[in-house]
Amino acid sequence: MVDTAISSDLIRGHIDTIILGLLSTRDRYGYELCKEVAILSGGEYELKEPTLYSAARRMENQGLIRSYWGEESQGGRRKYYAISPEGTEAYRRNLADWQRARRLIDRLIAGDTGKE
Amino acid sequence: MEAIKYYVKGAFSGVEQTPEVLEQQEEIIADLVAKVADLVAEGRSEEEAMGLAIGSMGDLSTLVAEFQPLEAAVPAIPRTAVWATRLDLGVVALSAGVGAAVMIGSTALGALVDLVEPGAGFTLLATLGVGGWWVRNAYLRYQADPDAIEVREQEYRTRFRKAVLVWGGTALLATFMNITTYTDFWCWPIWVAGGTWALTVKMEKWLSRRPEFIAPEPHE
Repeated sequence: MVDTAISSDLIRGHIDTIILGLLSTRDRYGYELCKEVAILSGGEYELKEPTLYSAARRMENQGLIRSYWGEESQGGRRKYYAISPEGTEAYRRNLADWQRARRLIDRLIAGDTGKE
Repeated sequence: MEAIKYYVKGAFSGVEQTPEVLEQQEEIIADLVAKVADLVAEGRSEEEAMGLAIGSMGDLSTLVAEFQPLEAAVPAIPRTAVWATRLDLGVVALSAGVGAAVMIGSTALGALVDLVEPGAGFTLLATLGVGGWWVRNAYLRYQADPDAIEVREQEYRTRFRKAVLVWGGTALLATFMNITTYTDFWCWPIWVAGGTWALTVKMEKWLSRRPEFIAPEPHE
C-alpha cells in the first residue's frame, strides 16, 4: 500500500515522458497505453485511464501528440495517439533531464561528498 | 456494452455535451469494451469482466471536471425583484428630467449665440410635452399599483447598445432634416430626446441596485 503510493507520487511527474516514450515506437490507443505501462512495470504501477486521458488532452493541446480515430470495430471507433515532431523533441529533452536528475539524486541520497 | 455506455454517459451527465465531450465518452467506451474483451479472453464471464473493467476505471470526476459544467455553459443572467412601478417612475422622472435640462439648456445657449432657429422653440415644447406625458403615465401606473413587484433580469448591455443605435439613427434623421430644410439646429431637441432611451437603461441599472427599489422575492 505504502509502496504503491510512493511509486505513484514519484512517477506522476513523468507520465508525459512515459506516454511519449511509448508513442515513439508506434501509435497506440488509450487502453493499449495503460496496458503497456502495466506490463513494463511488471504490475508495480498502474496508469489509470482518467489520468491518461487528462494527460493526452493536455499534451495534444501542447502539440506534443496528435490523435486520430481508427477503423470502426465491434466496440466502436478507437482513438489513436501519435507522437509529433515537437513531442519527439520533448521526449529526448525529458529523457536527458531525467538521466541527469537521476545521477544527481543518486549522489545526493547516497550522501557521498567525495571526501574520505 | 449498454452497461458501459450507461456508466460513461452517467459520469458525464453534468457537463455540456460538446463534440469534445462526446468524443471523450466514445474513447472511454471503446477502451472499456477492449478491456472487457481482454478479461473475457482471460476466462472471466462477461458480467464479471464488465464489473472489473468499470471498477478499474477509477474515479472519472477529475477528468469530467476538466470540461465545461452544464450550468456554466449558459451564463445565468442575474435577476432581482424590484418595486416595478416605483422603479419605472424613478427611471422615467430622472431620465426625462435630465433630458429636459439638457434640451432647455442647449436650446437657450443656442439662442444666445443665434445658432438656433425660431422653430426650435416649438420643437422644444413638443418634445417636453411628450416627456411630460411619459412621466404622467409612469406616475399613473405607480398610483394604480404602488406595491407591484417584478423579477427583472439585470442585463443592460444589449438594451443599451440597441438604445445607442436608435439614438444614432435619430440624430442622423434630425441632422438630415436640418440640412434639407436649410435651417440650423431646430431639430436639436429631437437629437437630445433620442438619447433619452439610452439614459433610461443606465438609470434603471443604477436605481435597481438601490435598496429603496429592491423588493422581497415574490413567492411562487
